Amino acid sequence: MNRLLRSWRTSILVRVTAITIILSAVLILVVGSLLSSQISNGVFREKMSASISEADSLSNYSQGQLDSTIYRADLKLQTVIDNIFHVEDVNANVIQREVILLPTPKASLKSNMYQGSSNFLDFSIIDSKFREQVRAHATAQSKYLTIKYLNGLHVNGIVVGSTITIPKDMVYEIYYLFPLTQQQQLIGLIDALLWISGAVLIFLIALITWYVTGRIVRPVREAAEIAEELTAGDLGRRLAIRGEDELGRLAIAFNEMAVSLQQQISRLENLSRLQQRFVSDVSHELRTPLTTIRMASQVLFDARHNLDPASARSSELLIAQIERFETLLTDLLEVSRFDARAAILEMREVDISILVRQVADQLHAPGDLRVDAPASPVNSHVDPRRIERILRNLISNAIDHSEGKGVVIRVAESDHEVSVGVRDYGIGFSEREGERLFDRFWRADPSRSRLRGGTGLGLAIALEDAQLHEGTLKAWGRPGLGAHFVLTLPKSPGIPLSSEPIPVIPQDAPSTALFEIDTDDI
Amino acid sequence: MPLVMVVDDDQDLAEMLGIVLNGSGFEVDLVNSGDGVMEIFRANVPDLVLLDVMLPGIDGIEVCRLIRQESMVPIVMLTAKGDTHDVVLGLEAGADDYMVKPFNPSELVARLKVRLRRTGSDTVTSLRIGDLAVDQVAHTIARDGKSIPLTRLEFDLLVALAKEPGRVFTREALLSEVWGYQHATDTRLVNVHIQRLRSKIERDADNPELILTVRGVGYKAGSAGTSEK
Repeated sequence: MNRLLRSWRTSILVRVTAITIILSAVLILVVGSLLSSQISNGVFREKMSASISEADSLSNYSQGQLDSTIYRADLKLQTVIDNIFHVEDVNANVIQREVILLPTPKASLKSNMYQGSSNFLDFSIIDSKFREQVRAHATAQSKYLTIKYLNGLHVNGIVVGSTITIPKDMVYEIYYLFPLTQQQQLIGLIDALLWISGAVLIFLIALITWYVTGRIVRPVREAAEIAEELTAGDLGRRLAIRGEDELGRLAIAFNEMAVSLQQQISRLENLSRLQQRFVSDVSHELRTPLTTIRMASQVLFDARHNLDPASARSSELLIAQIERFETLLTDLLEVSRFDARAAILEMREVDISILVRQVADQLHAPGDLRVDAPASPVNSHVDPRRIERILRNLISNAIDHSEGKGVVIRVAESDHEVSVGVRDYGIGFSEREGERLFDRFWRADPSRSRLRGGTGLGLAIALEDAQLHEGTLKAWGRPGLGAHFVLTLPKSPGIPLSSEPIPVIPQDAPSTALFEIDTDDI
Repeated sequence: MPLVMVVDDDQDLAEMLGIVLNGSGFEVDLVNSGDGVMEIFRANVPDLVLLDVMLPGIDGIEVCRLIRQESMVPIVMLTAKGDTHDVVLGLEAGADDYMVKPFNPSELVARLKVRLRRTGSDTVTSLRIGDLAVDQVAHTIARDGKSIPLTRLEFDLLVALAKEPGRVFTREALLSEVWGYQHATDTRLVNVHIQRLRSKIERDADNPELILTVRGVGYKAGSAGTSEK
């Protein structure tokens, strides 16, 4: 049932065919009923008039015979009456007609002697109302009725009644009964033919509709499928062009669109590839001279005790700035790798809690840094280098912005996800700042970030790393109340996140004016 | 003084490396191109080769392969790319370790010293691992009296595993023990060298018996016949 409903919703072909079947069925039903009733009316009417004329002639003949018995000695009254009842048996199976002779009620007992019928018939089928009608009219009267035999057989038929006078002056009613068996059989046959041809017609109409609609829908469906494939990135797909009609034109236009789309995309791809290549090349090319500079500065720095104070201080500044430059270069290269989609995960199973503790230990946080992790290992398949980088970034950020009010790192897991929440109670950030938090080279407070030599790329890279793992990195913050960054990762690659072991809005958050930065939109 | 052969096309960097290494107690031989490097190598066999991957003429990876064909000398590659591809290529060509430019000079010196370090001052001088005899004094291993040439790094790796049979070494533990890394997560170094070592000492490198992989943890020496004398 659901499948039917689905194909009704999703397939024009099914819908059009179904509607056509329903409409043509209704139409055929109406036309068929009309036709059938017209035909049966006609047949019955025909039989009625034939019956009346037959009954007329029979009763006239019988009356003539009866009248003759008075003058002709050779014609016995009883023989004539027997003849009236005698039904020629043309075909044993088909009853041609029956005759009933009834005395008029006012006739005397004696005149009941000729009452009779051609067969064992139930006389009560001829009701008194009809008998009165017959007696009241000089011409023959007729109506439909059910002929009942005494053995229980019922047959629909026509009765034609008139009066007949049996010498001398005995008035009888004579009823000729014509069964409608043949007519009913005929009508039954016609009806059956009508309905069968109706059904065949519906089937043929459905077939034609299916075929015709299919011919129109197929190219549309192909176009839809190919459009989907184009969307999925297979830019080389094209529609087959058949004919020069509207569908052919659709195919041509569609293909032209695909070509121009492909050209645009490859042009943009080329551009961005060139640009990424350039960034990557620049980063690489800078590395060799930077290495030389770095070693040279180290030599100067090591010898600074032999230099005059200004030169000594210069060597210190030089080495610090080279370090910063180098970090920037590394980050830039990493970003260019993300942009070129050349970043590759090197997955290994690691205990996230241990990773968190290692990073926290390495950062030697001044003040209060607490790690709150489950006692049992939280094993996940991740790229440890990238996760460590994210954690280092989040934790050092939190320490930088905590204003000594402490940092709490929490690790929690669900069946398929693991979350690390880094909460500080320092300066926090405003909604406006939050929107740009993950932007490249953006700093909430430049003087502060530079304390630890941040490049302004840290969170952007962390977000890319999280997304590379098909995880999320979300942030919550309020000015003066601190910030909360939550990294959520699937424990195994390929399983979409279904829950967040740690919600980004911290439990200790004030209940008013909350906002969070959902990086899914970025 | 140990002799370091520096192969680098960037003359300034090469000169700077010379200054730093001289200052740290190394003798330095500078070579500016990949071509002809083998002649110099044969004429003046160094204790260690510091090799830039990007060289005009034959590239560093090819030079590495050439040196490996005739010598087990420690090779440290200098690379501007931290990308998996180049690093793995270099390691597979026979490099023992690599440094990504720009590197910290003191870290470079420390790393070179680890590579030149002589292991084997321990009390255990002779080890067996499976059917291999390991001589820690002569730095040789032999199977059925036939010696198998190993680089010093491969030797160190094998000894580290064989000295504690049954202990499972994580890749990080091996990085710290054999390479001298403190915080390193580049475990490719270990993977590549374990593969190289297996191809030399295992009878069937696809079904190793001497160095076993412990899934999800690391490596250990095969228990088959391992014993200390």
